[in-house]
Amino acid sequence: MTKISENQEQEAAFLQTVANALGRDKPAGNAPSRKEAGPPVFWREQKFENEQPLEQFKANLENLTGKVMVVQNGQEATNQIRVWLKSLQAKTAMLWDHPELRKYIDVSQLGVKTSYWNADRPRKSLIETAEQADAGITWVNYAIGYTGTIALFNSGTTGRSVSLLPPTHIAVMKKTDIVPTMSTVMRDLLERRHQGSLPATVDFITGPSRTSDIEMDLSIGVHGPFRVWTIVIEE
Amino acid sequence: MSNRPSMHFRDRAVKALKDDQMRQAVRKAVDRLSSNKDKAAQELPNWEEWREQAYRIRKHTVENLDYYLSKLTENVRKAGGQVHFAQTAEDARTIISGLCEHYEAKQVVKSKSMVTEEIHLNPALEKVGIKVMETDLAEYILQLAGETPSHIIVPAIHKNRQQIAELFSKVAGEEIKSDTPSLTAFARKILRSSFMTADVGITGCNFAIAETGSVTLVTNEGNGRLTTSLPKVVITVMGMERMVPTFEDLEAVLSVLPRNATGQKLTSYISVLNGPRRDAETDGCEKFHLVIVDNGRSHILADEEYRQALHCIRCGACFNVCPVYRQIGGHAYGSVYGGPIGSVITPLLENDLAFWGELPYASTLCGACGGVCPVKIPLHDLLLKLRQRRIDAGHTHVFEKFAFGMWRRFFKMPSTYKFAMKAASIGQKPLVTNGYIQAQLPLLANWTNSRYLPAAADRTFRDIWEKRKNSR
Repeated sequence: MTKISENQEQEAAFLQTVANALGRDKPAGNAPSRKEAGPPVFWREQKFENEQPLEQFKANLENLTGKVMVVQNGQEATNQIRVWLKSLQAKTAMLWDHPELRKYIDVSQLGVKTSYWNADRPRKSLIETAEQADAGITWVNYAIGYTGTIALFNSGTTGRSVSLLPPTHIAVMKKTDIVPTMSTVMRDLLERRHQGSLPATVDFITGPSRTSDIEMDLSIGVHGPFRVWTIVIEE
Repeated sequence: MSNRPSMHFRDRAVKALKDDQMRQAVRKAVDRLSSNKDKAAQELPNWEEWREQAYRIRKHTVENLDYYLSKLTENVRKAGGQVHFAQTAEDARTIISGLCEHYEAKQVVKSKSMVTEEIHLNPALEKVGIKVMETDLAEYILQLAGETPSHIIVPAIHKNRQQIAELFSKVAGEEIKSDTPSLTAFARKILRSSFMTADVGITGCNFAIAETGSVTLVTNEGNGRLTTSLPKVVITVMGMERMVPTFEDLEAVLSVLPRNATGQKLTSYISVLNGPRRDAETDGCEKFHLVIVDNGRSHILADEEYRQALHCIRCGACFNVCPVYRQIGGHAYGSVYGGPIGSVITPLLENDLAFWGELPYASTLCGACGGVCPVKIPLHDLLLKLRQRRIDAGHTHVFEKFAFGMWRRFFKMPSTYKFAMKAASIGQKPLVTNGYIQAQLPLLANWTNSRYLPAAADRTFRDIWEKRKNSR
């Protein structure tokens, strides 16, 4: 596909109109000074107890029909996933090809046919496999206690489709990756941006796919997963 | 915009008031949304501080929009995307259909976007032979029904399950049951197959982030994620003010938007997209285009009194508390954006006080809209001031002009005022029952049809005062 051109004239005229509307001769070139940015001061300065993020994460996600299972090590995590997959009568699962997942989860013990999301296969085949999988298994970059949210950073081995296309999403994390609020994630993203390594997509996922579009009646699983189940490894 | 309804606002409202099914559905929805919102706002500590902060962020962004738009453009390009600028709806349609044709798109999937409603994108794409699928459940329902959204957060608020089941059954060629799980499952099946085959995904934009060139989508169903993950080309359309400067600011506005909109702490999905997929990635789009739309926004920006209307983050809470919206629903407004915020921005976006200047009258001026706004737009003040502008511009009804002309004539001087009150007190006698004028008067019918007019007192205050003074 050839590159379609951007219209420089339209751009200049557009920005000029905006500048004029703001009472300026030409678009401002220097960064405006700011007194207040981001969340209120009290929010940035609040302190949390050690166990608080996990407790809050569990309470919030369970409130949205999610599951949070705390386990001691990789073997227990593997066992738990096997039990869950069995309860779903799952036959196939697709996993992120993430070093931590490979380290903790022994796919040979899961009791289903598994495949990894990586560049070994072409796009079409990967997406179709994810679409037909009964479960997608991911490794969480951050979990957020305050809202019951998991944050996933996507890349070549951590495809977006794995947390999106299968009807069940199982997300695994270390307890130390649960943070109190979104602020920590935002700081990390800014850091990554300075290093030029911002992921092409960051997904904040808070519970299952839902809609209330039909007579305000809550319905789960309209486009994305029906189930968001998580495993927290304490080790 | 500028798809003008044929009837005047009053007649549209009268028509809506006869639609009991719609009114019942709207009441149920706005009550639910409002009570959810109240709970969610109480749950977050120091709600007023959050509102104040969200207001400051939006004010700062809008007042420096030229700078942040340049920054955003620069950073989208750095991330590998392309940026296009559309001063009018027509420009936007031309750019987007041009892009679709360039990529030889046959099928487009769309996630919910009010700005694409505003620029009437779908008919333009269909005209060049592209099949457009709306994928938000409510938008899909409306697309099948050939209707427009009646609420910016829950667009199909006015439709009931039987009507939806009928629409779906027509598509399926068999009967689809009207329970929610059956309806949702059918939509999931149909729309999932569209996602798998679509060439282009088109989205709106909740917040662009200037410092990184990111686009943030706030959704619940996951169709926004599908729209941006599966097609090879993604086009995001944004109103030019839909932006915050930094990731930090994003956290602040995300703390108020879902709470105010639906009462959720966060929606199921917040997707932060930074340009097209990286080289090593296999899903996500290969080409990313951002289309930035003015379409009348610069009129509002240039107007110092109304500039703050651009702070809006489209949470829809002002709809849910508005006693007028509650009664007439969204379609009676006749504009793309209804409710209190729509009544403020439509006359300004259209730059047309003569026709759209009717909308600021769709308000009781109770102030609930301004009170609930997460970015503190004083909507009720702006509505009142728009009425004033409309009158100053001479777009007043001839009867109203006449009535206020008479009023001025008699109330200007003490002697004529005295005469008028005396005359009224005597003249009204045949019409008064229990201290009110209840009779149907031809010229006052719009008042007396729904409420009593207080009668002028038998004795005026001046008379009583005079008497007292004399008897001392």
